[in-house]
Amino acid sequence: MNPPQNPPPSVKKLTEIFFRIGNTTFGGGYVTIGMLGRELVDARRWINAEKFDLAFAIARVTPGTNLIAFCAAIGALICGVAGAIGAVLALTAPSSALAVLIAYGFERWQGNRIAMAAIGGTVAAVAGMMWATIWIILKPHVGGTTWNGMIRNLQVVLIAGGAFVASWIFGLTPLPIILAGTLTGFLWKDAKKP
Amino acid sequence: MNLLVLYLLLLKASVTSFSGLGSLPMVRDDFVVERHLLTDHQLNMAVVAGRTGPGPFGLYLVCVAYEVGGIPGACVGFLALITPAFLVIPLMRWIGARADIPRVRSAIRGLLLASVGLLVSSSVPLTQDAFTGVFSVILMVASFAVLTFTRIDSAWLMLGAAGAGLAASLFR
Repeated sequence: MNPPQNPPPSVKKLTEIFFRIGNTTFGGGYVTIGMLGRELVDARRWINAEKFDLAFAIARVTPGTNLIAFCAAIGALICGVAGAIGAVLALTAPSSALAVLIAYGFERWQGNRIAMAAIGGTVAAVAGMMWATIWIILKPHVGGTTWNGMIRNLQVVLIAGGAFVASWIFGLTPLPIILAGTLTGFLWKDAKKP
Repeated sequence: MNLLVLYLLLLKASVTSFSGLGSLPMVRDDFVVERHLLTDHQLNMAVVAGRTGPGPFGLYLVCVAYEVGGIPGACVGFLALITPAFLVIPLMRWIGARADIPRVRSAIRGLLLASVGLLVSSSVPLTQDAFTGVFSVILMVASFAVLTFTRIDSAWLMLGAAGAGLAASLFR
């Protein structure tokens, strides 16, 4: 059962959260989504885990960059269209400006031993963050040791494992893999009791 | 280059992909192969810049636009990057209204699990790339543990990792 939710914040407060997390989280979209989940679902309880998962799933099939669509979806669910616009701009505008600055300065940094040592440390941390994010996303979908829990675990292994094999071994593109996963879920109902 | 054409080219690449770097083949085809507006090296640097800072990997589109059209180009690239995201709002309304139907919920779960599989597949090469020895493994495990078991902000984690990388280089 979901814990009780807190009332929605103002657009300004929501925008502040997206600004802080979006512009201080390194490692790409999934890591940022994991951080937003910790903040919005677990810490502040502005949205429940089911709606968060729904936003994640729909953002995955929205054209473009998943993370930006995800922010628009979460912003819209919490504060309406104004929340969506605020979330997207707060997350992308400052980091875009920074990316342009990095593009400008990157060739100069390549000769700088201090900068490269610091970047090397952050690259390793980002790899650890990616695996933490996988666990954060997967955790609510792992069942227990009951019969239904075992069935749910089997679904996790077969769908997530199948997607991994299809991408890693057979080199399929994400879209057919996602469609196959969605179809499998549709045909093989979740064993979780409502 | 005409900014409207730049916007439309980047929008085409963005709207026909479903992940941050998914648009890369189309961008390369349009900007490097067809129009010779960028070299492969410039495109590579744009991708690295997009991955180095915070935010989504798709930010490399802004860097591509900057390389082609300067600051006005970067602004246009930014617009092309965020435009498709708002398609999610009507999609949410349509699917969200049906989210309590068990089969729809199961389909969403299937989609989520498939996404996790894809994420694992893209995390493996990143992890291999980040592996430089025992020290990098310690940093990876520490960052996994900090994010999973504590509430420490990831910005502090990144700062600590950068400091650790710097300290390690002094002892080499």
